[in-house]
Amino acid sequence: MIPGDFQPQKPTGNQLAKLGVLGVVLLGIFIGIVLVLTFVISSWMGRPVIFGHDGPDQPIEFPHETHVEELGMDCTFCHRTVEKEAAASVPATGLCMTCHSSVGDDLEGITKMRSLYEDGRSIHWVRVHRVPDHVHFVHEAHIRYFSEKDGVEAKDVCATCHGDVASMDKVQQNRALKMGDCVNCHKQNNAPTDCVTCHY
Amino acid sequence: MALSRRQFLTLMGGSAGAAVLFQACGLPEKELLIDSPPAMPEDLVSGIDNWYATTNNQGGSSEGIVVRVMEGRAKKVEGNTNHPLNLGGHSALSEAALQGLYHPDRITAPQVRTGPRGSGEYREISWEDAIARLSSRLGELDSSNENNKAVFVSNPTGGHSGLVLEKFTDSLGSRHLSYEALETNVLRTALKAVFGTDSIPEFDIDNADLVLSFGADFLSSWVSPTRYARGYGEFRQGHEHRGRLIHVDSRFSMTAANADQWVHVNPGTEGLLAMSIMQVLSSSHSNAVFGDLDADGVLDSYSPVNVANEVGVSVDIINQIADDFSHSEHPIALGGGSAGAHTNGTQNLKAIYSLNHVASNLGKKGGVLLNPRSPIDGVGAAPPSNSFSEFYRLAEEMKAGNVSVLMVKDADFYYGMTDTADMKVALDSVPLIVSFGGMMDDTTSVADLILPQHHFLEDWGTDVPLAGPGYQMIGFQQPVVRPFFEHRGSNLGTKGFADILMATAQVMGKDLGLDGETFKEVIKNDAERLYELDRGGIVANSFEGFWNGVLQRGGWWDTSYKIDNVPEVNRLDGVASPEFGGLEQEFYIQPFISTLGDGSAASLPWLQAMPDAISTATWQTWVEINDKVAGKKGISEGDVLEIRPANGRTIKALAMPNPAVPPDTIGIPIGQGHRDGGRYSAGRGANILSVLDSKLDSENGSLAWAATRANVTTTGEWIRVPKFENTVPEFPRDEHQDIIQITSGDNH
Repeated sequence: MIPGDFQPQKPTGNQLAKLGVLGVVLLGIFIGIVLVLTFVISSWMGRPVIFGHDGPDQPIEFPHETHVEELGMDCTFCHRTVEKEAAASVPATGLCMTCHSSVGDDLEGITKMRSLYEDGRSIHWVRVHRVPDHVHFVHEAHIRYFSEKDGVEAKDVCATCHGDVASMDKVQQNRALKMGDCVNCHKQNNAPTDCVTCHY
Repeated sequence: MALSRRQFLTLMGGSAGAAVLFQACGLPEKELLIDSPPAMPEDLVSGIDNWYATTNNQGGSSEGIVVRVMEGRAKKVEGNTNHPLNLGGHSALSEAALQGLYHPDRITAPQVRTGPRGSGEYREISWEDAIARLSSRLGELDSSNENNKAVFVSNPTGGHSGLVLEKFTDSLGSRHLSYEALETNVLRTALKAVFGTDSIPEFDIDNADLVLSFGADFLSSWVSPTRYARGYGEFRQGHEHRGRLIHVDSRFSMTAANADQWVHVNPGTEGLLAMSIMQVLSSSHSNAVFGDLDADGVLDSYSPVNVANEVGVSVDIINQIADDFSHSEHPIALGGGSAGAHTNGTQNLKAIYSLNHVASNLGKKGGVLLNPRSPIDGVGAAPPSNSFSEFYRLAEEMKAGNVSVLMVKDADFYYGMTDTADMKVALDSVPLIVSFGGMMDDTTSVADLILPQHHFLEDWGTDVPLAGPGYQMIGFQQPVVRPFFEHRGSNLGTKGFADILMATAQVMGKDLGLDGETFKEVIKNDAERLYELDRGGIVANSFEGFWNGVLQRGGWWDTSYKIDNVPEVNRLDGVASPEFGGLEQEFYIQPFISTLGDGSAASLPWLQAMPDAISTATWQTWVEINDKVAGKKGISEGDVLEIRPANGRTIKALAMPNPAVPPDTIGIPIGQGHRDGGRYSAGRGANILSVLDSKLDSENGSLAWAATRANVTTTGEWIRVPKFENTVPEFPRDEHQDIIQITSGDNH
């Protein structure tokens, strides 16, 4: 054969099979990338939507301002497990009723809460702060660290991440609470930044 | 824009795919809601466990347990280290209690039968309706003065449940019978005769140096095995000199396997051996104390030479046991199990327990400690069960139409009576059968009305142990979780047994004379009486503090309240020879308790899967048969055998040849062969109790359940025996060293 005389050879069955496999693999990788991207984007964009909102509407307009600023109640009075376990927890309405069985007769929200309580039904609050399922955030450890470091009570640590909830009309998220946020804060406080610190 | 069909389909597929994809990545709506329920338990902290103390007296023996509860669900049972009887140990039955609590076949609401009896067709009704049906029928009997046509059959029930039950049956004027498949009745009759009290004494195995046990498989199933196993550990390893265990038994049981010396005797001759030992002691050992015991001279005819042949033990061995017994500082003799399950059972046990008088070990360390009465008047240990002969009479009365309402609680006598066909006829003649079973069992399956009771982990109660610790005590049972079927509302779901009776009595307008509106109140008010005694281990400034202390510890006990006086010694009676049904048959049947108790625990898969202590078999009914005898008959492991007593009833079970089985004996475990009882036990294995001859104890009419003989034939079928042994490879450290080396020619 003369050099340069290029004659394309017909692909053999074997080569065709290899090509086919390559194609399938590439297609698989492509679908994988699309899935990962979809997942990443949707989890970033996922609710609660943090930008351009003043917080979601709640079934009962709970005024933090009245309870915290005016009456001087601690965060930990209602969010009782925040110093003990991972979740801060929302109180049972039984706790509300300790006062509101006699206080607030003329308020619409109180009437609603009382009737739910009497029927044995739950209030379904709309979640404001949320980290994805693959993140473990433990309130107890964070509260303990900051209250020891700054020598303050647990109630004074909450605002570090949640902002000044006491003065909010509607509770809203005021910090990104995304991974970058977490990692930055961990670095500033010499806390571990291993993956398994949060992803376990 | 014109859209071709192809473009349309492409777009449709694409958008549907995207919708699915994005929906899958999005958050479900409920994830964004936070529930604020009306009430939350004070001590509920997610991720942190709570341990609650309660008492388990299911299956007859009392155990203090603590249960790990997380977020309202029971997760693990452990022994209560404070409880005087088990001191932190717990039995497999306690461990498996969780499976009873979360059993998929629990009855979730009252039921009324809609199909024919035994068909399993039921319709759910409300509690109000169910209690109304029961109380109206009982009311009819009451107004026509036929109260004795109402019969209540329960397991032997003590504590406050027993109190409520007794008041209920008394106020109705109905009869109450206690049922046990394998009776402690014989044992209690013998103890009453020997020690003057029918409660089972404390055997201080811990501090004994010789335990001479006759037929009582106390390390695996007899009376209070967890307590005895703990004592056994002390007995063997807790002192400078290791205690010595001699076990006399016609079967190679777990206790026999642990003994220093297993003395094989012919079935039913344990009492003769005990008499013979006493005869040796009275004639040649000066330190034995006889007093009036043998004032009548009955022992003379039981010399070793006279009985050795019948017992099947050489004269030398009888002399050796007597010698060991008299040279021990703290010997104990105890007996039960198959030794008391013969026509001469009561006599056997009386002779055996009299050995303790000879050793004069009553009330002494390492001896027999009698139990004082319960600290609360009217609340005691479970009463002795009624004998089988009384149940035969009951069956006859049912057939004669003298029983209109039969109420049943935890007493599966349709399973446990020897002739179940006859029992079926009797039950069919009863117009209304009411069961309080929380799970199906054979008797509940023929009930017309089911009022399901709570599982014991959901209910209140108290427990005065039948075999107490030698001092005064009462165990407390509290709910460790909310009732599992609470979500079904107050008119469905399950209820506490005592509360059901109290509600029924209230509807009928009967005053039970109890101090309290609910069962919990009754218990709490009696606890106040305990508080007022001002003694015992719980010191508190207020009753509330005392109540919390009692619940935290799982009970109340006063270690200084003991019985000091030694009972009068009754003179010895003679011991007759045992009689057997079908003497021409080849083998003695030795029924024994393996892992399922008397069959009431067969519904729990953990216990089904727990290997038998001797054969390691599971999930089946098998026949222990001597390997040489099996070899001669051409029987090998897994062959389906038919057991044929002379009475004509037969069962099938799998052969399990074993060199430790006496050649004239076959051992068959109790507990399988249920008609009903949930998915794990119904139709599994065979019920050995159903083929036994109705031979009775000559003194108290109890069933002599080890007095049946049978032939064994092969059926030609074969099933692999599910067992633990040989299913796991052993790994010796080097190829010339076996893990266990069995040598021959070793006689000891």
